[in-house]
Amino acid sequence: MHPATHPTDSAPDGRIYRTALLRRRLVRGLLAAVVALPLVGAAAACGDDAASDGKTKISIFWWGGEARAGLTEQALELYTKKNPDVTFEKTWQANQGYFDKLATLTAGGNPPDIFQIDDNFLAEYAARNTTLDLKSYQDSGKLDTSKFPPSLLQYGVVDGKLAGLAAGENTQGLVYNKTLLEKNGLPEPTTGMSWEEHIAWAEQVSKKTGVPGTQDPSADYKAFWVWLRQQGKDLYSGNDLGFTAEDVTAWFELWKGARDRGATPPPDVIHEGNATDITKQLVVTGKSATSWVWVNQMPELKKNTADELGVIAYPGDPSGQWARASMYWSVFRGSKNADVAVDVINFLANDPEAVELLGTDRGLPSNLDLRKVISDGTTDEAMQQSIEVENKLAETFGESPQVPIKGHSKVRAELTKAAENAQFGRATPAEAAAQFVEACKAAIAS
Amino acid sequence: MALTTAPDPTRRGTGSVRPDATRRGTGRIRHGEGLAGYVFLSPWLIGLMGITAIPMLLSLYLSFTNYDILTPWSEVEWVGLANYERMFTNDPSWWHSVGVTLRFALIAVPLKLAAALGVALLLNRAWRGVGLFRGLFYLPSLLGGSVALAIVWVNMFNREGAFNSFLSLVGIQGKPWVNDPDWALETLMVLAIWQFGAPMVIFLAGLKQVPTELYEAAAVDGAGRFRQFVNVTLPMLSPVIFFNLVLETINGFQGFTAAFVLSNGTGGPVDSTLMYTLNLYITGFTDLEMGYASAMAWVFLIAIALITVVFFSTGRFWVHYSDGEEH
Repeated sequence: MHPATHPTDSAPDGRIYRTALLRRRLVRGLLAAVVALPLVGAAAACGDDAASDGKTKISIFWWGGEARAGLTEQALELYTKKNPDVTFEKTWQANQGYFDKLATLTAGGNPPDIFQIDDNFLAEYAARNTTLDLKSYQDSGKLDTSKFPPSLLQYGVVDGKLAGLAAGENTQGLVYNKTLLEKNGLPEPTTGMSWEEHIAWAEQVSKKTGVPGTQDPSADYKAFWVWLRQQGKDLYSGNDLGFTAEDVTAWFELWKGARDRGATPPPDVIHEGNATDITKQLVVTGKSATSWVWVNQMPELKKNTADELGVIAYPGDPSGQWARASMYWSVFRGSKNADVAVDVINFLANDPEAVELLGTDRGLPSNLDLRKVISDGTTDEAMQQSIEVENKLAETFGESPQVPIKGHSKVRAELTKAAENAQFGRATPAEAAAQFVEACKAAIAS
Repeated sequence: MALTTAPDPTRRGTGSVRPDATRRGTGRIRHGEGLAGYVFLSPWLIGLMGITAIPMLLSLYLSFTNYDILTPWSEVEWVGLANYERMFTNDPSWWHSVGVTLRFALIAVPLKLAAALGVALLLNRAWRGVGLFRGLFYLPSLLGGSVALAIVWVNMFNREGAFNSFLSLVGIQGKPWVNDPDWALETLMVLAIWQFGAPMVIFLAGLKQVPTELYEAAAVDGAGRFRQFVNVTLPMLSPVIFFNLVLETINGFQGFTAAFVLSNGTGGPVDSTLMYTLNLYITGFTDLEMGYASAMAWVFLIAIALITVVFFSTGRFWVHYSDGEEH
């Protein structure tokens, strides 16, 4: 502090008196500012919400890359063009960290009116009543689902409530490196091969090319799920697991056999490929000839490799697969502009121009009429491939399973842990399976 | 202002009181001055309350509830000690993360301090260009807990990484270090040890404080280099060692960024890098069990406080303060 402001003398002369006065004023001024600042902030915040000019601002939040952001922004601009009173506050980011942020926004009482969500979290949000039940809008016709495949629509229903509207459809896809196979004169795998045949084929690929034939999907819940359905089981049944420790043991044994035969990469490479990041999938990093992905990821995978890629269904009976909502649009239950928000997601699903803009970035369009238009019009080869495979599979799709229950994210993490334990030889398949089932039970009970 | 009013410990008991201090507090402006103090403190005070104190108290409350982020506050249920009970009796992954964190801290912290002291001894000489080396050795710790550094580390220590290329030059078959559950944590330890710059600089400053007469006297008494180090350097340096030990231990327990990046936020492979803070983060933000995560945070806080208390209470047996006062 400056010495001049420090009255060290007991008999103040005029100068010190003046500084004291001055300081007192300064203090009051500062105090006033400190007190007033939050008020100003609050007033400004109020100003945001007040729709005094009849305009509505809808906040919308999604994850994805830049391409998706561009397409979505165009579609939303189109909506504003048709409804000049509605504008958007758009936020998007990469997949990693998206759900942390969404949860934090919700906790802060400031969730977006519309948000993108997937089946890993839909039940978590729906069970806690964070999502608006869209049933009444569907009944009143404000949300048109008449052109949706019934099973796809059903896959957005949690506890009898329509918690999310499918923003696109996809299904499991086994992507393989065509170039590598052709170069070595090897046959391409086909849909309908049994799991045994797939592993035998992969073993042959490993021997001939030196590149492991297939990624080991034992840590991958979506592969495990298809396999379970083919055994007449399921991932979940009501609020319980749809499988037993014996099922898991058989699944882990199957892949232990494949590893022992050299059909898969070593465990550390399998671990690398277990990352959900598209750029780390082994088929594009060249560390295996096949990867277990979703069909709509084909175009994105294609961008990360110079090789030709092919895509088929997972091994076994293709009816184990189903029309999965690749992601949903959900509306926040507390949204002040819920009606407008529902109209926006209706627009994104059913407006011909909007659907054409969005293309197949979020999966095949949910509206079957418009899906046909898009499929016929596309020129992107990777996209054509994924549409073709999915259209073919649509004939054999099985019934949709129930949406994964609360605790699903933990179940996924536990499956990865158990499978890697077995892969690194730290546990036998039976031990790993027992640990997994026990951990799952704890996860879905809490 | 804080400097002039803080009690000066070195003057304790000497009876010397600052002359101006007696006059203060008697004037009429005392009230206004206190107010002014608070006004000037207010940015910090508001920050402390808003960002630290109030959230901490809230998390203490939440640790006794089943709060899950998405549920509105009004519907949060009080569950008593259930979260704490679950942690100690019914959560193997919590115990696992405690083990991982202890292993990390017990190995990485002593080695880091040893490296810092060793290099500080080497650099505490009047060589030409020694300043450059001090700068170079300090550089890694400037990068701190950065994400970029962790990404570099992953790429250096994976199967095709630079480290294995180097090993193969000398005919050693490397391992997929970061992707091997037996080695992933050790790779993180190496990263932590490599960033020894901050304690090193503090050691250097400490070494400069040791009076050269002591070494001369020891040399006259016939003490060799090693004896000088053990009987002069270490005791004289003990307050600095103590300071670094406390600080680095706390830092070591809180390691997060590198483990998060290396494992894509999962703590893998096979939970080998599931540090306490990472486990806490996953519990709170992925599994959405924020009440339970709050309880974990409080146990963590208390554990670190206890460890620090243990350090301070053992300190008087081996830490020597050269100012002649007993502390």
